[in-house]
Amino acid sequence: MSAVANPGFSSLLSGRPLRFIAGGALIVNGMFPALWILFTSLKTEAELTAKPITWVPHAPTLSNYMQAFSDQPLHIFLFNSFMVALLSTGLTLLVSVLAAYALARLNLRYRGLILSLIIAVSTFPLVTLLVPLFEIMRTLNLLNTWVALVLPYTVLSLPVCTLMLVSFFEGIPRDLENAAMIDGCTRMGALFKVVVPLCAPGVFTAGILAFVNAWDEFLLALSFNSNPTLRTLPVGIQLYQGEFAFPWPVISAALVVGIVPVAVLIVIFQERVVSGLTAGGIKG
Amino acid sequence: MTNTSTLIAARPADRGPPAWTRWLDLGDRALAVVLLAPAAILLALIIVYPVLRLGYTSFFSLSLTSGLPGEFVGLENYSLMLEDPVFWETTWNTVLITLITVPGALLAGLALALLANLPFGVQWPVRLSLLIPWALPLSFAGLIFAWFFHSEYGVVNDVLNRMGFEGIIWFNSPNWAFAAICLTIIWKTSSFMALIILAGLQTIPRSLYEAADVDGAGRIRQFFEITLPLLKPSIVVALIFRTITALQTFDIPYMMTGGGPGTSTATLAMYIHQNTVSFLDLGYGSALAVVMFALSMCVTAVYLRAIRTKE
Repeated sequence: MSAVANPGFSSLLSGRPLRFIAGGALIVNGMFPALWILFTSLKTEAELTAKPITWVPHAPTLSNYMQAFSDQPLHIFLFNSFMVALLSTGLTLLVSVLAAYALARLNLRYRGLILSLIIAVSTFPLVTLLVPLFEIMRTLNLLNTWVALVLPYTVLSLPVCTLMLVSFFEGIPRDLENAAMIDGCTRMGALFKVVVPLCAPGVFTAGILAFVNAWDEFLLALSFNSNPTLRTLPVGIQLYQGEFAFPWPVISAALVVGIVPVAVLIVIFQERVVSGLTAGGIKG
Repeated sequence: MTNTSTLIAARPADRGPPAWTRWLDLGDRALAVVLLAPAAILLALIIVYPVLRLGYTSFFSLSLTSGLPGEFVGLENYSLMLEDPVFWETTWNTVLITLITVPGALLAGLALALLANLPFGVQWPVRLSLLIPWALPLSFAGLIFAWFFHSEYGVVNDVLNRMGFEGIIWFNSPNWAFAAICLTIIWKTSSFMALIILAGLQTIPRSLYEAADVDGAGRIRQFFEITLPLLKPSIVVALIFRTITALQTFDIPYMMTGGGPGTSTATLAMYIHQNTVSFLDLGYGSALAVVMFALSMCVTAVYLRAIRTKE
């Protein structure tokens, strides 16, 4: 985000106080829900049901976090989410680096057609494949395994990551690769020793997008992995609701635990993520 | 690339790569096949075969609860569907959610982008405020907003009370529940829209506005005659992606209302999930999915055409 003013609207609101209000509105819109959940997670049951409701917790407590881990195996949900997200991110990167290299560097006859196909796949509604994927995973005995999620999540992120990497690879001068090959690298060696390291920021950004996609997915995780030891975080989090009770402070604590990993990624790599997201239209 | 190949062939053997990698030194065409194969295999397994299978299964009566093998029933699943009021209700809800939340997210996203484009001294809080809603899982957003709209202890009703209005029991009435779901979806998706539009805004050359100033065009006119037309390409792409994801809406209503009261806020994706996973009625679930597939292919066709005209 450059600091260059866009005079179209900015001069309308260029006064300092107005800028302050605009910034405040943006921050409240973006942060308030997460902040509110954080506040809720620190409240006692008694404070929560006090009327009128309090905003900032009066007597912050961490007991809800303890309970979130003891009521349900939250650490197992976290572990499953991490493993599924990491495995699918790794697989997505490997497959899309190879495909993107072919599309960026080799003079393919059907390059345009392949790129159109990839764009078409990127808009594909994975929900509609719930039934056949369920059947396939069932036949292959893959229900209640990480693989049942890793494969679809890889396909979910593959088009976007490939398109992104194609444009990154095209920005690397061919001379560098040629020089490496003269020095005795194979073409694949040149790809992994020269092109990928030079594109590290791009590869990394693609990885973050793939990770967030996998971390967020709910429907397939809900449908394929119902075994308690294989539930991912979004699926596990529903289990805190009892038949009649809805322990909001404990649910909030579990939500905070689930938000933190992705929030840390976003805070550290915000600029890269923004550039990656806006490089091409991506599902949101 | 032919030059390099001869160079590689001509180099002394002792400087060559380890022998086990030498099979990778292929011609362009063979190399392309090897490099594209993993992606092609994955797409074939997870998309192409399932799509064919989907169409095929939709002509069968296949229920896993009965334990019987599938029986070919032709178009029976489809004729059942046409007479199924829940199919029509969930489809209508899905279309309505799309028609409300896509323009809603566009307008909210446009407003957020215009605000974020102001010359702030510090950029990171603004950037983060747009990224956090995008990164928050949809299912989490659904739970968080269910708590926001809680009739007794929710912050929305608290604010309404403070402003002198009566609190609303959001999830007891179909219309209010629907409104709460739409607001949540708009909040969740508008930030991504804003990021795309903001990137578009930042490519508009400043000189255009300076020229318009010289010509005496006002701010509002500049917005409609410079900003909006130049934003159109980025808006079109964002809109189409948003439309396709809106047709698949599942997480937020599932978490907020579970489709209730009754089936008044259930979406087509929720109905597919229910038929497949809860009722194990794969034939009917497939027929429902074919409908959603058709809806979304229409949008994709529009998208591919829009991209082609852009080039």
